[in-house]
Amino acid sequence: MRSCSIVVAEPASAHRNLFRYCPMSTIEITGLRKSFRAYQKQEGLRAAIRGLWRRNYREVEAVRGIDLTVEQGEFVAFLGPNGAGKTTTLKLLSGVVHPTSGTARVLGHVPWLRENDYRRRFALVMGQKNQLWWDLPAQESFRLHQQIYRIPPDEFLRTRDELTRLLQVENLLSQPVRELSLGERMKMELIAALLHSPDVLFLDEPTIGLDVVAQHNIQQFLKQYQQQRNVTVLLTSHYMKDVAALCQRVVIIAQGQIKYDGSLSGIIDKFSQTKVVSLTFAEGRMPERLVEFGVVLACEPPKARLRIPRNKVTQTLSTLLSQGGVEDVGVEDAPLDEVIADMFAQVHDNKSPTD
Amino acid sequence: MNSRQTLRPQSARPAYLAVLWTMLRNSLVRDMSFRSNFLIESITSLAWMMMNLGFYLLVFKFTRELAPGWGKYEFFAFLATTMLINSVVQAFFMPNAEEFSEMIRTGNLDFALLKPIDAQFLISLQRVNWSSLSNFFVAIALLAYSVWKMTTRETAPLPLHPWMLMAYPLYVACGVAILYSLMISLAATSIWLGRNQSLYDFWFYITNFSRYPMEIYEGQVGTPLRLFFTFIIPVMVVVNVPARVISQPLIGGAGRDVALGPGLDQQFLLGFALLATAGSLGAARWVFQRALTSYRSASS
Repeated sequence: MRSCSIVVAEPASAHRNLFRYCPMSTIEITGLRKSFRAYQKQEGLRAAIRGLWRRNYREVEAVRGIDLTVEQGEFVAFLGPNGAGKTTTLKLLSGVVHPTSGTARVLGHVPWLRENDYRRRFALVMGQKNQLWWDLPAQESFRLHQQIYRIPPDEFLRTRDELTRLLQVENLLSQPVRELSLGERMKMELIAALLHSPDVLFLDEPTIGLDVVAQHNIQQFLKQYQQQRNVTVLLTSHYMKDVAALCQRVVIIAQGQIKYDGSLSGIIDKFSQTKVVSLTFAEGRMPERLVEFGVVLACEPPKARLRIPRNKVTQTLSTLLSQGGVEDVGVEDAPLDEVIADMFAQVHDNKSPTD
Repeated sequence: MNSRQTLRPQSARPAYLAVLWTMLRNSLVRDMSFRSNFLIESITSLAWMMMNLGFYLLVFKFTRELAPGWGKYEFFAFLATTMLINSVVQAFFMPNAEEFSEMIRTGNLDFALLKPIDAQFLISLQRVNWSSLSNFFVAIALLAYSVWKMTTRETAPLPLHPWMLMAYPLYVACGVAILYSLMISLAATSIWLGRNQSLYDFWFYITNFSRYPMEIYEGQVGTPLRLFFTFIIPVMVVVNVPARVISQPLIGGAGRDVALGPGLDQQFLLGFALLATAGSLGAARWVFQRALTSYRSASS
């Protein structure tokens, strides 16, 4: 499918119901860039006064040239350090902000034209912002969404009841939103976003600030919902657990560019230069200078854990084994969290001097 | 999946009336849930209005006319019109304009832009402050009383023509539209300025000029002010035109001609008010759309 992602010129709106049969991908992004001027504030009062008439601006390149194709029914995770451009990309795709250059098509529409036909078919959920009326029960906000999206009454009730049942919030519908817990509110936000049965779903850190149980609930829900409806989902999250539980495909963004696009396990192959070797030695046979073999992660005789460069694992192991005294050996990949944290740090250090 | 798609209504036109109705209803439910606040707000705005009225009662102890053609009851009709327009603007648009600035600062404007409905419509009418409408009814009462006094007095009674009663609501609506345009344009500037807290202040300074009959703006200072606030920023049209319609005989009347200055007779004003309304709405729409393309959306 990806090979045939040439832009097909056709009036997308005329083919809405036939859309599934078009050769076009659900999301197509080419060379997408977004930069904006940020006011550089110096420290102190004197600088602030000077800033009144002479301002220093810095060109912030939030997104610098992203190319991405996503097929219908894919669940893709955006990973990246803070400020990498993940949220900006989602905002561009939902038409909230205009790009500096580049093109994007979602469901055949250019997002920032903000056509109603497009806006009826996607949803954006932001974990840090809420759209429900604070002082009203969630069901009143849902009612308003029904009107705005023109959802037929029977369909509205069916979807609402199904979603509230899945998320187990049936008894909270008539409680003012301000009296809900963060987790409950997030569930209500999700329901509000899904009432119109969007075909594409953008989730910006939907589990931020939630406890483990609530996080797990929302993961389960998203997984089930996505499988049932076969919707296309882009998710950003800082929780590896979200990503591991939900996404087959991971896109790593750092400094506004895509650094990796592939499976979660592929990240380790690509970015992890080391493996972790666990050793158990026979009584009193542990070598004195373990450091010679690799980085010592833990040493509690008779056990030890070493980090060893990948290309040296076989060599080191054969040396150790030939010395004798090894009772048990285990070789594992470095934990994903660590690999990704290392990678972010690397990217951060390699910042070009022009920044 | 396919059946779900076909269920969607074919017409993409959003149901504006239904949405408006739901927003009005939700606002009322919300206002009602804060009962005491609702009551206190109603009382304070009523009290403010009574004080205003009392002040002008005092003024009219010392003078018969505030300006040519504006005797006690003419002016009270003018005052009632001011209150009427202000109460509508404060109930429907003021809370939304304020909220709009805040939405820009916090990035919550994102949600309004996601909805398949006109963003300006959604932002302008999202939240309605029903308690401000208490003034509306008092203003109607004051208007009715003033008109009754004018039509039944012995010297030069006001010939009330059905036409006047029909044109009055139209020009009140024009006034509201002009004030709304001004307000939403001011609020939209927050997109460029990042923050616009002076909204209320600026609003007060400008609308101050709309609160008195335009005849008082005469002479070296007055005339330029009058011309500026009529033709450049047409706030002087807002109250003056409807107030004139209801309190000054225009058609078939005894012809109490009001000196407006060169080229500013009554008929001209009536036409100009319509033009100014259309112009203001158009300009506001333009400013709003322009501002949206510059929207940056605050950080997540």
